[in-house]
Amino acid sequence: MEKLMDPADPAAGLAAVVALRRLADRLEDSQVEAALRAGWSWSDVAEVLGVTRQAVHKKHAARLIAAGVALRRR
Amino acid sequence: MSTNVKDVRTVLTRDAREEAELDGSAAIEAEHVLLGLTRQSAGPVSRLLTEAGLTRETIRDALDREWEQSLSVAGIAVAVAELPTPTPDRGRPPKFGESAKLVLKRAADLARRLGAHRITAAHILAGLLDTNLGRVARALDLAGVDRPALQARALQIAADEAR
Repeated sequence: MEKLMDPADPAAGLAAVVALRRLADRLEDSQVEAALRAGWSWSDVAEVLGVTRQAVHKKHAARLIAAGVALRRR
Repeated sequence: MSTNVKDVRTVLTRDAREEAELDGSAAIEAEHVLLGLTRQSAGPVSRLLTEAGLTRETIRDALDREWEQSLSVAGIAVAVAELPTPTPDRGRPPKFGESAKLVLKRAADLARRLGAHRITAAHILAGLLDTNLGRVARALDLAGVDRPALQARALQIAADEAR
């Protein structure tokens, strides 16, 4: 348990990288969904994320359409 | 659930993929293969996992604790249970990630060494346990599982099957 928490241990440090990627992915999925449910446009979501509208649409549109989110025209 | 060893790979693939989808993961990772294994309702591997206290719920709980601990190494305090849950993406099947590919490779290597004609759940479990690295090993450690002992029993099941 101690070893798992030791930032000087490469195994813990590398596991932290994986954990952060998981967290970023989880937050992106949930926050993009929340924004679109709140009526945001794809363009506005893309601008905040610093990616193209096409990129965010390609990554999330199918999931959110299947989830029944009422999407604004892009 | 089928217990026909011929179907194990297919069942695992399907169940592991389902677990990856539920996890919101774009890739099937080793932990999803382990979770998939717990969906088997019969057979020696199912009994072994149950005896070790490893159910789908206890493993998911251990994986969440591993996630929290690893985030804390980066100075981030998150209660995974309180994170917002996105709607899973059911339309885009997750691909096999590198950690799951390693599991299948190790399982296949073991089956070949034992002269088995098919990869069984025992080979998969042994393949999962054949490393000290990654989320599965760390989560099992957190759950207090004696990994070498579990590995030895998985290998014994595989050896018995090969006789």
